[in-house]
Amino acid sequence: MSTEREHEITRAFVSIANSMADGADVVDLLSGLTSDCARLLDIASAGLLLADAQGVLHVLAASSERTRDLEIFQLQRDEGPCLDCFHSGQQVSVDDLSQETDRWPQFVAAATAAGFAAVHALPMRLRGTTLGALNLFSDKVGALEADDRDLAQALAHVASIALVTDKAASDKDTINQQLQTALSSRVTIEQAKGVLAQVGGLDMDQAFAALRRYARDHNARLSDVAQQLVTRKIAGQELLDHSMTGLA
Amino acid sequence: MDSIAELRASLGRAMDGGDPTMSPADRLCFACVDLFDVDGAAISLMLEGSSQGTFGSSDGLSRQLDEFQFTFGEGPCMDAVRDGPVFAANIADGAETRWPAFVGSASALGVGAVFALPISLANSFVGALDLYRHAPGPLLGNSLVGGLMVAELAALPLLDMISAQAELATSGQDEPAWKQLKSLARVEVYQATGMVMVQLGVGPAEALARLRAHAFAQGLTASQVAWSIVERELSLEADTERTDPGQGHP
Repeated sequence: MSTEREHEITRAFVSIANSMADGADVVDLLSGLTSDCARLLDIASAGLLLADAQGVLHVLAASSERTRDLEIFQLQRDEGPCLDCFHSGQQVSVDDLSQETDRWPQFVAAATAAGFAAVHALPMRLRGTTLGALNLFSDKVGALEADDRDLAQALAHVASIALVTDKAASDKDTINQQLQTALSSRVTIEQAKGVLAQVGGLDMDQAFAALRRYARDHNARLSDVAQQLVTRKIAGQELLDHSMTGLA
Repeated sequence: MDSIAELRASLGRAMDGGDPTMSPADRLCFACVDLFDVDGAAISLMLEGSSQGTFGSSDGLSRQLDEFQFTFGEGPCMDAVRDGPVFAANIADGAETRWPAFVGSASALGVGAVFALPISLANSFVGALDLYRHAPGPLLGNSLVGGLMVAELAALPLLDMISAQAELATSGQDEPAWKQLKSLARVEVYQATGMVMVQLGVGPAEALARLRAHAFAQGLTASQVAWSIVERELSLEADTERTDPGQGHP
């Protein structure tokens, strides 16, 4: 492992730890974590899927905010490595996606059409319960090296801990409630992205960046800003004006 | 009673099948009385700036309890929409001070316990499932778990009500209720809902209702319509579906 990369890994963990200590918004924090994953592991796309109380998987955070990219993760609520990983609690690694068309016909078709060649799913576990999975897509055929696999698993563990931050949250109901809150704030963030995309003629990546920028500049939580936008307490144009001013 | 999965299935069946002369919302309310430890159920809608009122109930008393709340401007269903689930296990002993007028009238009719579970549409609370029982006591076990499931299912008739597309919506309802709900819980639907909010100048619940009504009218799925909106092939700005003032709200 190069010194430069070790340095980057350290920085990523320090940044996550600081965000958690500051009580940062969990979707915001995990969006950062998936972007770190993609960069540090040199993979094309990373996403976190979280199960709701019925065991249905939902996209919680991803390294790209584009609708098509999010859909590849979302597809796995019906079939795919993340669903298998969630059910078994075990890592699922597919070094060559094209060999798995029988196993997951719809998923493989969509993932290969998006340019992906290999996929890995690592369980997000907390005290014996699997909460969801970290999903990594590569555009090259091949296995994850042992170092990379350990790093990815460590990041998946960090994500689980970040999701259930309350130390007192040992009972199942409290944990479920925290997960449900995280999923619910993700829904509001998607709606808010739609609002900004429509108001400013932006794509979803740009809309997310504007939302995030506004939240940071106002020292506010991402999900709170999204909520204010959706309930029309902040006007979409006002938020975009701020982002544009900041960029100029 | 049965497992949670069986409870889910029987509630889904109550809404999908059941007596065709009853509305889906009424069928859900009757299922509550059949399956849970309650004597009555009602479903109400409280969308800001839009329709408000009771649109499903199991009996006259539950409808009347709902109407008290609208009359007095206070009660468990209003609180549920604002803050989340409300459990008032004993309203007869004077300990319940949140809604004096409502409690007075409800107690006089022999009601001992009232519960209100919020109904969420497009991630915001827009209505409530109100449950009552003559005997005081908490809402426990399957009555609670099942009540929360009914509150989830009630989102579908609520969407129909908001879009005022009752006829079209019924024709599109060949999909089981739980499957319909799952088909709305998708990234592209969330994003398109935000875009439609701006296109029509409405809140999230109404935006979702319009998206879904458009899908039914065109014989498409909500996901297909959402994709067209996200890809900017479709805008609901020029949509003129809501032209039937005759089909008003209750």
